[in-house]
Amino acid sequence: MALIDIVSRRSRLDRQFDQLRRLEEAGALRAAGGSRFVRKFLNNRLAVIGLTVFTVILLMSIFAPLLTPWDPTKINLRAIAQPPSPEHWFGTDKTGRDVFARVLYGGRISILVGLGSALVSAAIGVIIGCYCGYVGGRLDTIAMRVSEAIMAFPEIILVLMLVSIVGQSLFNIMAIFILGGWCGIYRLVRAQMLSLREEEYVLALRSFGLNRGLISFKHMLPNALGPVMVNITLSTAAFILAEAGLSFLGLGVPLSMPTWGNILNVAQDLAVLQNNWWLWLPVGIFISLFVLSVNFIGDGLRDASDPTQQG
Amino acid sequence: MLTYIIRRILIIVPMAVAVSFLIYLGLDLTPGDAVSHMLDPTRTVDPEKLAELRHALGLDSPLIVRYWIWLTGVLQGHFGYTLTGGVPISSLLVDRLPATLELSGTALILSTILGSILGTISALRRGSATDNVLTVVGMIGVSIPEFFFGLVAIVVFALNLNWLPVGGRLLPSYDSYWDHIPNLIMPALVLSIMMTAGVMRYARSSMLDALSREFIKTARSKGLPEWRVNLLHGFRVALTPVIVLVGFRLPILIGGSVIVEQVFQWPGLGNLFVSAVRNKDLPVVMTIALLSVVLVLTVSLIIDVLTAVIDPRVRLGA
Repeated sequence: MALIDIVSRRSRLDRQFDQLRRLEEAGALRAAGGSRFVRKFLNNRLAVIGLTVFTVILLMSIFAPLLTPWDPTKINLRAIAQPPSPEHWFGTDKTGRDVFARVLYGGRISILVGLGSALVSAAIGVIIGCYCGYVGGRLDTIAMRVSEAIMAFPEIILVLMLVSIVGQSLFNIMAIFILGGWCGIYRLVRAQMLSLREEEYVLALRSFGLNRGLISFKHMLPNALGPVMVNITLSTAAFILAEAGLSFLGLGVPLSMPTWGNILNVAQDLAVLQNNWWLWLPVGIFISLFVLSVNFIGDGLRDASDPTQQG
Repeated sequence: MLTYIIRRILIIVPMAVAVSFLIYLGLDLTPGDAVSHMLDPTRTVDPEKLAELRHALGLDSPLIVRYWIWLTGVLQGHFGYTLTGGVPISSLLVDRLPATLELSGTALILSTILGSILGTISALRRGSATDNVLTVVGMIGVSIPEFFFGLVAIVVFALNLNWLPVGGRLLPSYDSYWDHIPNLIMPALVLSIMMTAGVMRYARSSMLDALSREFIKTARSKGLPEWRVNLLHGFRVALTPVIVLVGFRLPILIGGSVIVEQVFQWPGLGNLFVSAVRNKDLPVVMTIALLSVVLVLTVSLIIDVLTAVIDPRVRLGA
C-alpha cells in the first residue's frame, strides 16, 4: 500500500508537471514553438529564396525521368558535342550523352552524397555527443581523442588518403565523408550538453528519478538541436562541394556514374573549356546555386533558432 | 606561461605520435616492401636469401620495431622512396615546397588584408545596402566551388582576353619571384576567394563587438574624429582575433591549394599529392598527409600560445 500512499501525496505542482509532460509527449507544446520558428524563418527573405531554389532543384532531380526523355548514360555517336538546341537543352557531350539529363540525374547522386553524408554523420555525432556530454566517462575520453586525431587532418587530405587506400566507389566516398564529418557535430552537441547539464530543469528531472537516457535524449537534446540543424545544412553544402572537387579531379565517385563533379571532369581539357562551354558552365552554375541555397537556408535557420535574435 | 606551453605540448605530441602510427599502419598495408624494390624482377632469387636480406634490413621484426625505425628515419628527413620511379621523397618535397609556399603565402596575405578591410567596412555601415551586398557576396564566395572559379577565370582572362598565362609556374629562363607573378595572379586570387569570405564574416562580427565596447564611447566623448575612433581604437582591437584566425584557416588553405594547384597545373605539393593518389603511390601520399598533420598541430600550438600571450584569462583558466 506504500505505492498508493506516495501517489496520493503528490502535490499540485506534480500534477502540473505531469500535465506538461503529457502535452509534450502528444506534441502539443512543440507546435507552439514550431510556428514561431517557422515565422522567423519565413521573414528572412534570403532563406525563403534559398528554400525555394533548394526545393526546385531537389524536385527536378527526383522527377528527372518526367523532365527529360534522354538517358544520362546512353552513348549516341551520331550527336557528339552538339551545342544547346531545343532537342538537347544543354547540348551533348563528347560521346553524345544529353548534358541536361546528366545534370538532372547527376543531381540525384550529388545530393544523396551531400545530404546523406551530412544526415548520417549528424546522427552519429548527436548520439555519441549526447551520451558523452551528459554521462562523460571513459567513452567520452576516447571519442574526444579520436575526433581530435581526425580533425588534425585537413579534410581533403584525409579523404584523398583514404580513397588511395580503399579505392573509389559511391559507398566508400560517403563512408569517408561520414568518418570525417561526425566529429564536428559530436563536439558541438557535447559542448551544448555540458552547459545544459548545469541547468536547473535537468536537476529537477534528476530529482524526479528519470533515467539518464530519457533526460539526455528527450529533455536536453531538443534544446541543443538549433545549432545541430545549422551544422547539418552547412555540412551538406561542404560535402557537395567536396564531392564536386574530388570528382573533378577524377578521384571521387566512379566516372561511370553521373554526378555534378563527374560532369565537370571534362573541363580539365583546355579545348573543352574554350570551345564547348555548355559542357561545364551550366552544371557549374547548378552546383553553385544549390550550395548557395543550402547556405542561405543554414543562415536562416541560425537566425530563426537563436532566441537572442528577434524577428 | 611556461607551464601552459608545456601542458599544450604534452597534449599535442602524443596526438602527433598516434596519427603517425596510423599513417605507418596505412603504409605497412602497401603490397611489397623495400626488398622487392631492390631486386631485378627478371631474375628469380632464392627465397632463403630473400629472408636473409629481410632479416639484415630488419623487415621481419615486429610492427612496433619497424614503426620506430621508420619514425626515427622520418625525424631525420628520410621519408623513403616513391613507388613510381624510386626517387627519394625528401628531394621531391624540397623541389615542390617553394611553389606551394609561394602560392599559399600570397593567398593567405591577400585574403587576410581584403577580408579584414571588407569586414570592417561592413561593420561600420551596419544594416546599410553596402553591408547587405557584402554579406550576400561573401555567401556567394563560399558557395561556388574553387575549381569552377578557376575554370571561369582561365576562360575569361587567359583564353579570351589573353592577359594572363593559362597555368604553370616557370617560364624558361625566368626564375625570380617577380617573374612568377603573371602565373601567380589567378591561382592566388582564386585560392583566396573562399578564405576572404570567411575572414570578412569574422572581421565584421569582431569589429561590431569592438565598436560596442565602452572605450569607443570614451574615445568619442574625448572629441576624437570619427575615423580615429574607428580605425585607431576599434580596428586595432578587432584585428587581434582576426590575425589569430589565420591559423585556423590553415586546413582550408591546404585543402584549397590541392584543388587550385591542379586547376592551374601549379607544380606544388598539392599537385604532387593528387598525382600520387592517382598512381596509388602510398609512400608519397602518407608522407604528405603526415607533414600536413604535423603542420596543422604545430600551428595550432603556436596559436594557443599567442592567444595566451594576448589574453591572460586563457592561460590562467585552462
